[in-house]
This record gives sequence, structure tokens and C-alpha cells, in this order.
Amino acid sequence: MTRRRGLAEGFGVLILGIVLLPALWLLQMSFRHNDDIMSSHLHFVPTLENYTSLWTGQFPSSFLHSLLASAFSTAFSLLLGVPAAYALARWRFTGAQQIGLWILATRMAPPIAFTIPFFLAFTWAGLMDTVTGLALIYVTFNLALVIWSMRGFFTAVPRSLEEAAWIDGCGVWSGFLRIAVPLAMPGLAATGILCFILSWNDFFFALILTRTQAMTAPVAIVNFMQYAGWEWGKIAAAGVLVMLPVLVFTFFVRAYLVRGLMAGGVKE
Amino acid sequence: MLAVVTLGPAIYLVVTSLTPLTPVNPDTLFDFSDPLGNYRAILTTDEFWRSVWVQIELSIVTVLTQVLVGLGLALLLDRPSRFLEALRTGFLVPMVLPPIVVAIIWKVIYTPDISPMHHLLAWLGMPIHSLITDAGTAIWAIAAADTWEWFPFTMLMLLAALQMVPKEPQEAARIDGANAMQLFWHVRLPYIRPTLVVAVLFRLIDSIKAFPLIYVLTDGGPGGATEVTNYYAFQQTFNYAYWGYGSAVATLMVAGVFMLSLAVNRMSGEAIDD
Repeated sequence: MTRRRGLAEGFGVLILGIVLLPALWLLQMSFRHNDDIMSSHLHFVPTLENYTSLWTGQFPSSFLHSLLASAFSTAFSLLLGVPAAYALARWRFTGAQQIGLWILATRMAPPIAFTIPFFLAFTWAGLMDTVTGLALIYVTFNLALVIWSMRGFFTAVPRSLEEAAWIDGCGVWSGFLRIAVPLAMPGLAATGILCFILSWNDFFFALILTRTQAMTAPVAIVNFMQYAGWEWGKIAAAGVLVMLPVLVFTFFVRAYLVRGLMAGGVKE
Repeated sequence: MLAVVTLGPAIYLVVTSLTPLTPVNPDTLFDFSDPLGNYRAILTTDEFWRSVWVQIELSIVTVLTQVLVGLGLALLLDRPSRFLEALRTGFLVPMVLPPIVVAIIWKVIYTPDISPMHHLLAWLGMPIHSLITDAGTAIWAIAAADTWEWFPFTMLMLLAALQMVPKEPQEAARIDGANAMQLFWHVRLPYIRPTLVVAVLFRLIDSIKAFPLIYVLTDGGPGGATEVTNYYAFQQTFNYAYWGYGSAVATLMVAGVFMLSLAVNRMSGEAIDD
């Protein structure tokens, strides 16, 4: 029994190693000099020149745009979605069941279907190529996730605590803010991080709805490929910088992540 | 409010799909003289049907490999071990990486003069041509990259399901002399089947949205060999500025995805009832 477990563990490590290899290859590429980037020899003198050349170009500003759009959309989705989730967890509404289907719909709809109307509306409203416009798009898909996931966390908070607070003279709002929100804090943090990751990872909307003023980091990387004559070192370094925040955040919310990504597929 | 955010664009999309809208000519915005013109055009366009076929091919291959690889690994790793639980976090990496980074990683692997894979094969004495510029292999190259990105999803879902399988029936079957294969087929599979179905449908629907990989690796080419319907709609709308036509293609896609979603909703409902 223990021998078979040891075997499974050995296999697990081996497979994980193979799976992670392509990503690690990109990492080592980012530290290579541009003149030996084509070689596959593993002994080379590491350099930071790819990162420093990114720093002096346009990349920091597109990184900032990504950061702003993701942070704004996360904050706004939480601001709207958390009270709504609380209300759904505590009081019965007609049509509460429909919310599952609605969340599923936003999760499933092909982005192209949203982009065409948004493109037209944005052109008309002057939101094209702005961080605000991009954040607004991200809110539309993050909001569903926040409501779905926070409703679960609020349902887990015992109702009697808030009832005790109401008897002691707390209003509904202060009961929500002082009792329910602090108790659901771990879930809130995980939900926020998940929203951030999903916005950060977006490429499609940013590609179509931004040009130069609000270009995000993923779009900037693709531009390196098209205009900068295939500077692989720079592309690799930019890729590493873009995946870094996601990997750090993933580590913190690993337990909730699978649940969040399956949002809408499993009924509570 | 929620409904406005989602339904508004949907209605707008359908309305647009009934016009020959193109940004070059503003008069086309409210031109409803031939509302079904786009749909008629779609049905008689070979590129559209080819894109549907490429889509079906890609979806079937990727979903199948993701489920088989995911199931195999889930069965392997489903053992009570703290170490394996820690290892699971590592498997999250491909699916949480920004899709554009995944695309770059595979662009490196598929570009002969920089690729470690091509270098290794050449060193072993069996050099190969670039897989993504060959119309015959491009779709398989995309499928391999897509499988790498998403098998962790099916794996983690199935692993969670396997751990919910009660121990008693497994013990009983083992005492009755069932071998590992029979144990899986007759005892564990029935328990994880609902999850398996949901995982398949989820991946199926997501496979329709595949974009960054195709955009970076092949740009729909060579010669449309990897141009899935989603990519076709994108090209028609944003490269050729056929907004009305693109909207009509997107509307058909939404209809298809909606039907698949209903299936997910019903099946996951059954999964709870069982």
C-alpha cells in the first residue's frame, strides 16, 4: 500500500515536471542575451537586459493599464455584488433561481457576441480606448461571479449572529457591515482575487476595445511580436511579468479557485 | 440592472445582425430592408461551413484528450497523501496562466529556430517541419496546446468527484474479488459520471471561445485550416468590417452555446438529484 502510494507520488512529481517544463522554458529564455536566445544549451550567463529594456519602453504604461482596469473592475464588482449577494442569501426573492441561469449565460456566451455591441456603444459614448471602458466590460462578467460565490459564503455565516445584532439596535446595513462582511472576509478576499485574475488575463476585449491610450500588457506583448522584429528575449520577459501576479495570487486562493472557475456549473 | 447589462448587448447584437452594417457607411445602421440577408449569405458561404467543421473537429479532439488525460491523472493521484494534495496546486498553473502567455509559450515551442522541441528532435536525428505552418498539422498543434492549458480543469474536477465516492462499496467490491478495472468501471465511474458530464460540457462550451492560441499561433491559417467559427466572426467583423454579417455569425454562435448551456443546467441539476 505505501509502496503504491510512493509510486503515485513519484509519478505525480514527474508528470508535474513535464507539464511545467514549457512555462519554465519561457522563464529561462527571459534571462538570456538576445544573441544566444536561439540556442537550447542550458549553460548560459543570465542577464537582466530584457527586463531593463522593457522598463525603458512602452511596456510599464501598458502594465499599469492592466493593473488599473483589473483593480477598478474588481472593486466595482465587489461594491455592487457583495450587498446583492447578501440580500440573496438572507431574503427570498422571486426569480432568485433564475440567477443561476443568468450567471451561466454570462460565463458561457462567446465574447465576440458582447464585443460587437460594446464596440458600437463605446464608439458612441467615447469610451473606446479608455481604461474606464475596459473596466466596465470586466464588471459585466465579474459581477455574476461575485454574486454567485459570495451568496455561498454569506449562507455559511450563521443568521443568529446578525439577529442578535439587530436586537441590540443595529440596522440592517450595520449588521451587514459589522457582522456578515467580517465573517465572510476570507471568501471575500478569494472572490476579489479571482475577479482580478480573470480581468488581468483578458486578451480579447482589450485587443478590440483599446488602441494606444489604454493598451493592456497582454496586447502589448502581441505587439512586440508584430512590430519589434521578434525580439524573443523581450517577449519572454514580458510574458514572465504578466504571469507573475497571477501565479502569486493563485497560490493564495488555490482552494477556492477550482470552485470559482466552475461557477454556475454546480448548483448549491 | 443585471438583466440590462446582459440582455441589452444581446438584443443589440440581434438587431445589428439584421442590417448590412459597416462602419464605412453610417446609413447602414438602420437599414432593415433585407433583415435576413446576412443569414442567407452565411448559409451559402463555404468559409462559414468550413469554420464550423474546423470548430467541431477541434472541439471533439480537445475535449476528448482533456477528459482522458484528466481522468487518467485523477485516478493516479487519487490517494490519501498530503504530498499529492500539495502537488495539485502545481497543476493549476497551466489553466490560470494568462491565455496570451500560454500562446507565447507554445509559439516558442512551435517556432523551429528557437524551439527546444525542434532542437531536440534535430539532435536525435529526426528533424521535423514547422507544425503550425502546415495545413495538415496546424490544427493538431493547436489542439495539443489547448490540451496542455485545460486538462488540469477536468483533472481537478474529477479528482474532487473521486474523493466523494464512498469507501464502503469499493471495499465490498474488492472483497468480492473485483480487479482495478472492474472497480473503476462498475463502482467509481457511476459515482463520478455526473461530474464527468458537466466537465465535458464546460470544456465543450469553452472550446468554442478559443481565441488567443489561434490568434498567436496560426492567425486562422494556413489557408483557413485553423479558422474556427469564433475566429471567422472576429475576422469578418474587425478585419473586413462586415459588422452586420459578423453579428449574424455571433448570433448563431450564441444560440448554439445557449442550447449547450441549457444542457449543462439540466445535467448539473440531475447530478444533484442523483
